[in-house]
Amino acid sequence: MDERILLEAVVRAGELMLVSGAEVYRVEDTMKHMLARSGYQSTETIVLATGIFVSLDDPDREPLTLAKRISQRSCNINRIYRVNDVSRRFCSGCISAKEALKELDAISREVQYGPWMKAFGFIGVSVFFTPVFGGGFYDFFGAIIVGVCLALADRLIKYIRLNDFCINAFCAFVVSLTASLLEGAAPEYLNAEVMTISAIMTLVPGVTFTTAIRDTLNGDYGAGSARMLEAIVVALAVSAGVGCGLLLYRAI
Amino acid sequence: MIIQILSVFAVVAVFSFLLEVPRHFVPYSALVGAAAWWVYLLITGHGGNSLEAAFLSSLMVALFSHLLARIKKAPVTVFLVSGILPAVPGTSIYRCVYYLIQDATDLSILYLIETLQIAGAIAMAIFIMDSFFRLFLTYQSRRAKSRS
Repeated sequence: MDERILLEAVVRAGELMLVSGAEVYRVEDTMKHMLARSGYQSTETIVLATGIFVSLDDPDREPLTLAKRISQRSCNINRIYRVNDVSRRFCSGCISAKEALKELDAISREVQYGPWMKAFGFIGVSVFFTPVFGGGFYDFFGAIIVGVCLALADRLIKYIRLNDFCINAFCAFVVSLTASLLEGAAPEYLNAEVMTISAIMTLVPGVTFTTAIRDTLNGDYGAGSARMLEAIVVALAVSAGVGCGLLLYRAI
Repeated sequence: MIIQILSVFAVVAVFSFLLEVPRHFVPYSALVGAAAWWVYLLITGHGGNSLEAAFLSSLMVALFSHLLARIKKAPVTVFLVSGILPAVPGTSIYRCVYYLIQDATDLSILYLIETLQIAGAIAMAIFIMDSFFRLFLTYQSRRAKSRS
């Protein structure tokens, strides 16, 4: 087996999982299982929240090392699941390293839900959360408008490419401003609080928080605290955005 | 109550699009979320506060996620992250900021503490269930080893 291709496939798998928001423990575990097929005496993987290092060593052969910097993080459970599947089949010997690499490339290009589905996701969460937070019949329709604005704001800010704080703060700002304006337009029918909370539920860092906890529990304190900090930053951004929206509405 | 559970089902299903949950798992994760909200409503309906409700419903989410992950042979994350959504303290964060702007600092701090408490409760719930299943796994593998 060609070690270079194997190493490349392993690093690609780890990168895909880490970028998609998998726990560090799972990334290391997957990579270690895949490296076991290399036949090298010692294989080491070090995964941080911001990078991957893999090193293969054997008395008879030249050592191999590969490092990969990870700069972006998002949440894409489909990729985690698919990479997991590929590594499982690779480890059981069903596919070769070359085939695994080809499949991983296909996974990295695959888009499961298009931008319209994403927009529908934002609108849907805003709308369907209103009954849960005690909203009335009219809030349900008001939330559609808030959701549309949120989806538009998300598209716009991702297009400009700002950092996490700005993205979340801007989206939360748009949400709270539109919700307040809607309530101002029809105060006897609409409730700004319900609409705002429903819409910011897509922004609050529940997913990051969950992953942070599981990382910490597995003893990966570095990744755990990095993710926890990310969750705190996002939460602060959301509250700052909501606060700005409320203040601006009061000023108008 | 049925309307609430149905809407949580819809919320988690739709939220799955944002997290890119694999298509054939969307109904399961929505079911996990709906079941957790049912527990939440039962507890708040019987005089429990939102902290207890968040803790026990997250415990439910974690339990179901682990069970489903074993049955469906998928990572636990698939069901866990979307199912946890309804328990996330969005309301407390909003009220904290709202009262801060209204110059009601005492109320704002109250909701800030509630946010931290609920976040801690969710963390504890996931901790407990993860550790429990890990214990179960070691027990299982040990038994398999002693047999062979």
